[in-house]
Amino acid sequence: MAMRNVKNAHYFQIDHQIKNISQVKGVEILSSLAAWKKYNWARKYFSLKPKEGYFIWVKKQVSFPLFTCILLCSKNITQNLQNLLIIEKNLKISFQGTCQAAKKNLLGAHEAQGKIILKEGSSLKYKHFHSWGQKDIVTSCYEFFLEKNSKLDYVFKTLSTPRKLRINTSFNLLTGASCNAKIVANCKGTETEIKDNLILKEKEASGQVQIRLVAREASKVSAYSKIEAQAESRGHLDCQGLVLDKGSEVSLVPELLCKNKKAQITHEASIGKISQEQLNYLRMRGLTEKEATNLIINGFLTL
Amino acid sequence: MLLRIENLKVQANGEEILKRINLQIKKGESQALLGPNGSGKTVLGQTILGNPKYKVTEGKIFFEGKDITKLAPEKRVKLGIALTFQSPPAIKGVKIVQLLEKISQFPIKNLAEDKVPDGKNLLERDVNLDFSGGEKKTSELLQVLALSPKLVIFDEIDSGLDLKRLERVAKTIKKEFIDKKISVLLITHSGAILDFLKPKITSVMISGKIICQQKDYKKVLRTIKKYGYEKCKKRALFSN
Repeated sequence: MAMRNVKNAHYFQIDHQIKNISQVKGVEILSSLAAWKKYNWARKYFSLKPKEGYFIWVKKQVSFPLFTCILLCSKNITQNLQNLLIIEKNLKISFQGTCQAAKKNLLGAHEAQGKIILKEGSSLKYKHFHSWGQKDIVTSCYEFFLEKNSKLDYVFKTLSTPRKLRINTSFNLLTGASCNAKIVANCKGTETEIKDNLILKEKEASGQVQIRLVAREASKVSAYSKIEAQAESRGHLDCQGLVLDKGSEVSLVPELLCKNKKAQITHEASIGKISQEQLNYLRMRGLTEKEATNLIINGFLTL
Repeated sequence: MLLRIENLKVQANGEEILKRINLQIKKGESQALLGPNGSGKTVLGQTILGNPKYKVTEGKIFFEGKDITKLAPEKRVKLGIALTFQSPPAIKGVKIVQLLEKISQFPIKNLAEDKVPDGKNLLERDVNLDFSGGEKKTSELLQVLALSPKLVIFDEIDSGLDLKRLERVAKTIKKEFIDKKISVLLITHSGAILDFLKPKITSVMISGKIICQQKDYKKVLRTIKKYGYEKCKKRALFSN
């Protein structure tokens, strides 16, 4: 899952400044503030009058992935983004959102709130990549609203973790909607807290959340994952962690809440270490211990 | 001499497994090592490759005259030693092609399509995950071929294969290694593959000791079949 070239972004922001918006036929792309001013109906999706962030309203089918890129480039910047993505009925859309720091030592902060609305029968493949410097602080809160019979494939991946990372994601599913979410973090020297909540609100909704976390270089990583079944629905949680070295820790807290006797929700959770047998096998294929470890971790984080 | 093992004693979990092993393999030579299950054959193969699980307490291993007894496994591989595993571990999320890209001395396409029959069917699968017995052997063959080794130790490459598959595996070993003068040590407890590959020297190991060596592998197989492994050392036929 390689990151795309920022120059191709349909919405491209550096620090607080919008560098480029590429209009696409059938898609309206605005700053969130412009959308707030233009559309009264959009205001209900923003918790406050937005300062920055994007508004993307997909009204017609597009054949290529939509791409946003938000960069930190200057020192001591605090971004405060409110993003809104709306996919109209029966459209099938691919989307990639990239948030990253251009340098390792910017002492930046990135605070993002996002709402993603999938209208009835629509389908969204969303790849969400983060990559930060070791001194940044990042909070990312996204809410997905899946209307009747809509479908979401979501991948959140941190390629390089900041000093503090908080990820809060909720998935709200109506009748017949389905969600397959993958959250992957390769944590080095970080405090990471992941919260995700899959809410199966109406009948025949179904969802799966898979989480893979690696903790190394004194990382403290915790994940609170919850499925709430309010109707006849199905859900599964799959959380796995790897602890690589002394001083690192992983905490996994899966929670199931069932409010309907016909719902079926399940979970599995495990935390382990790198298998010595796998490591030795790869070393006996000529990889150094470090190369073998990295290959095993990459495999673990591949979903 | 390509490989020379002198008075090798090896422990695992505090228990002595190999008891003063002596073995020599010349450049371009193919040898077989026979023995019952649990006799220490696999431990010998793994120790030659330097698996840290096994501790050498006495003796030395030389490769091309260089003492490699304390060398890291990956450095032994770089020198030209390779091993196929009897029971290779699965590595979820890592495709065979990704591993080959990291280790191969040849273009993968050439390796998987021309050299190993059925190899290309495995490239996009996770390493050893849900592989059948035959697929594991194919995958192991692909990997050792990729390394372009000088010596290959095949650990039970013939176990669990039907006759047709066994013949295919044997043909690949003959064509890609033996005919190219790459030294080969065939570790086997059944000896099924020896008729195809006709090793120059066959050794028998029991309880961590090599009890005999013979040039005629057929005599060894006949005697094992007739008298069993335990009787081998009592037969004058097999004395060193």
